[in-house]
Amino acid sequence: MSSLGLFPMVTFACFLSAIVIGLISTWAQAFGYMPSLELTHFSVTAWQQLFSYPGFGRSIMATLISGIGATLTALVFTFLLFAFSYHNRFWRVLDHALAPLLAVPHAAFAIGFLFLTAPSGWILRLLSPELTGFSTPPDWNVVKDVYGISLMLALVLKEVPFLILIALGALGQINVQGSLAVGRSLGYEKVQVWVKIILPQLYPKIRLALFAVLAYSLSVVDIAQILGPTTPPSLAVQVFRWFNDPDFEYRLLGAAGATLILLLVIGSIGLLYLSEVGIKWLFRSWLINGQRRSRFFLLTTLSNFFISALVGISIAVILVLLVWSFTWRWQFPDFLPGDWSFRFWGKGFLQMTDPIWNTISTGIMASLLAVFLVIGCLENEIQMQKRGRKANTTKMLWLIYLPLLIPQIAFLFGVQVSLVVLHLDGFWLSLVWSHLLFVLPYVFLSLGPVYRSYDQRITDVAVTLCRSTWRTFLRVKLPILLRPILFAIAIGFSVSVAQYLPTLFIGAGRFDTITTEAVSLASGSDRRIVSVYALLQMLTPMIVFLSAILIPRFYFHDRKGMQI
Amino acid sequence: MLRYLILVLLVFGSMTLYADEWRDITEKARGQAVYFNAWGGSDVINDYIRWASDKVEQKYGVVVKHVKITDIGHVVSRLLAEKSANRTTDGSVDLMWINGENFKAMKKNKLLAGPFTQKLPNYRFVDTENKPTTLFDFTTPVDHMEAPWGMAQLVFMVDTARVSWHPTGMKELLKFAKEYPGRVTYPAPPSFYGTTFIKQALLELATNKKPLYRPVAMADFDRVTAPLWKFLDELRPFLWRKGKAFTSGAPEMKQLLNDGEIYISLSFNPNDASNAIANGELPDSIRTYVHKQGTIGNTHFVGIPFNSNSKEGAMVFANFLMSPEAQFQKAKPAIWGDPTVLAVKKLNGKDQKMLNQLPLGIATLSATALGKVLLEPDASWVGALEKAWLRRYQK
Repeated sequence: MSSLGLFPMVTFACFLSAIVIGLISTWAQAFGYMPSLELTHFSVTAWQQLFSYPGFGRSIMATLISGIGATLTALVFTFLLFAFSYHNRFWRVLDHALAPLLAVPHAAFAIGFLFLTAPSGWILRLLSPELTGFSTPPDWNVVKDVYGISLMLALVLKEVPFLILIALGALGQINVQGSLAVGRSLGYEKVQVWVKIILPQLYPKIRLALFAVLAYSLSVVDIAQILGPTTPPSLAVQVFRWFNDPDFEYRLLGAAGATLILLLVIGSIGLLYLSEVGIKWLFRSWLINGQRRSRFFLLTTLSNFFISALVGISIAVILVLLVWSFTWRWQFPDFLPGDWSFRFWGKGFLQMTDPIWNTISTGIMASLLAVFLVIGCLENEIQMQKRGRKANTTKMLWLIYLPLLIPQIAFLFGVQVSLVVLHLDGFWLSLVWSHLLFVLPYVFLSLGPVYRSYDQRITDVAVTLCRSTWRTFLRVKLPILLRPILFAIAIGFSVSVAQYLPTLFIGAGRFDTITTEAVSLASGSDRRIVSVYALLQMLTPMIVFLSAILIPRFYFHDRKGMQI
Repeated sequence: MLRYLILVLLVFGSMTLYADEWRDITEKARGQAVYFNAWGGSDVINDYIRWASDKVEQKYGVVVKHVKITDIGHVVSRLLAEKSANRTTDGSVDLMWINGENFKAMKKNKLLAGPFTQKLPNYRFVDTENKPTTLFDFTTPVDHMEAPWGMAQLVFMVDTARVSWHPTGMKELLKFAKEYPGRVTYPAPPSFYGTTFIKQALLELATNKKPLYRPVAMADFDRVTAPLWKFLDELRPFLWRKGKAFTSGAPEMKQLLNDGEIYISLSFNPNDASNAIANGELPDSIRTYVHKQGTIGNTHFVGIPFNSNSKEGAMVFANFLMSPEAQFQKAKPAIWGDPTVLAVKKLNGKDQKMLNQLPLGIATLSATALGKVLLEPDASWVGALEKAWLRRYQK
């Protein structure tokens, strides 16, 4: 099985080539090197322009508030939920909602969130005019606010489910029940055990995911365009505009801005790392002070409330999109539309065959390839361990995470240029490859922990019975891991569905997907058709998630031990 | 006599040559796939493009694929990448919807295929005499490098159910904003909607308009634009969100107008309001109006990139878009309502009748009520005005 050693190499070749090429090309532009514009001299003009650009300071401020704020808030709430609501009745609701929450694409969520919370949104329509007295929407600065608070809130709601998913995977490697039992027997309250014993073990295991959330939140374009500040916009939106300015001189400014975003990400990660050390030092004595009782019972209410809010808002987001998609006319302050219509769904379905096909074929191909590569890498790891060589899993994890830690905007434009040079853009396989870049890390994240906790002795026994490692793998190991593998495919699929920039740039406009249709319609004014596409954008991954749940049920209907 | 005969032969010969050339083009075009990159934000426009694509496929065997984009800037920047990679054939774009700054940038960087509209039979119907913007796109000479597709004129929309009067000039707009604080806004430059609003205000308020039609470098920018900034400064505290947030463009303002968050919106399409009412996007209390001094008008075009492999197919589609049939369909208020680029009097009797009998939408102004069309200032003003606006209001 020496061919297994190829897997990590192929996997990394996929990644690193794109990122390195993209970054170098972007950096060269940031320092004034762009042969196509006959610019071949090193210069820092773009950087000077960047720092003196109108609103630069406020743009950075909004970026940092929404990016760092969303990350820290999401972390705090994730911990809060585990410490106070783990396995209570609120948690069970969250458990059921987790897969659909993860399946909702960011852009669709942001559109629904806007329809809900704007001054003319559904919440105020519900309260007006009876409770508020408003017959016209109030002039409140609640969405697209200058500080990026509404952007931050939407990011928190989208990132908490992701962190919970990662944390659930990581908890498999921590003895939760044992810690709780021992802690309780020593007189510690459950919350104290969580805060003092389990969370400090959990944090290092989800640290990388947290950094990925940080990098994403600092560089997000699509949500920020919908909910972020406008004058000035957040840095990523500004950079995106510069890259697309018809005046090509702005490309250099865009490249410098994209590089600055990367620096902001690196700086924030460093800051987070430093504050870890600080917090450790500050709380060490508190951790071992032997205090058994806690006075945070109010936090239980907060934690349960947050779960209700998270699930409630997400349901409301889907509902408001549903209502808009069946609307003909709907004016403020009516709670429901005055006239309804099926027209937009009818039209949507008629014109959707190509985009749906492209979305599904690309998503399935990318996620299957990702699962294939990830399983290969994990098997290689097991193989190496057997031979007594310790696989360097941490280093590997960092590499896998690389596409998530480096903002898309900092290398994607560079990748586009390189693919054009190599004449590789506009092919379906290039598109799949570009999706793979972002699908693979998520597949690895969701499959890795479960795969590693597989009881190797089952395989050992099976091999002694049938004398074939290959048959054992196919007939025993894969079926046992079928459930997590399908779940990983579903996660990968939903990541692929949501890709906008890679589909547009690498696909050269040859492949329209539900997401490219939805985003282009979102630049228009018709909320009804946008809602149809946003819902379709949610529906496709949800169907895949549903299959991931139903297929094992069907497949294992006659195997008692495999049922849940 | 002989001289006349030669002349007649020459004229006749050139006509057959012309016809031959077009026949060659349509023959080559058959079977070509044309990737038409155009803004995809409007459902009605997407439907219209689909209709036109079906027609050309039936008539000429050209397969048009609408690549829906959010901003044509992406495409221009992609073409630049292709040019810098020396890809002179096999381009990813065959035809694109452009005008103004994007056209200027493409022309300057030689991203266009070159002159082609003179080869299109329907081009002779274009009203180049009375619609000068079909020849000068934001003052950049078109030089046959893009084919006129539709006319645009800045108009305003007001919700008559909520207010009893509407402004007819920028100074009155200020008065209106003071009466209805928080209900007036404009898109932020460098969105071209915002830039046009600024240019309109400048054209109305400037004491001397001549410098605006010369390169900005030749003008005393601060002195010429002083009345504009005075106006915008005065307007700002009465704006929607107190001028702390701006909209991204006319589409977003249309939503806000429907919600009642704002009372006045703007558009480049004089039929926009009627179309939106017919579509349920706006209430039927919306009416269109223009400013007394006239409003900025321009033309939007389709252009062919330098490295398209389907240039003939693109020309066939561009030609069809200029045909009386396609222009008539496009001008119907319930379809799109985009005004024609053609001169009605150049058409045959049947087509003339067809275009003259176009129904006027409920919120559409008649040609006379639309008033004077102001020409765009010199293209160099765009960048300078955008920068000055950002320095003042995006600090």
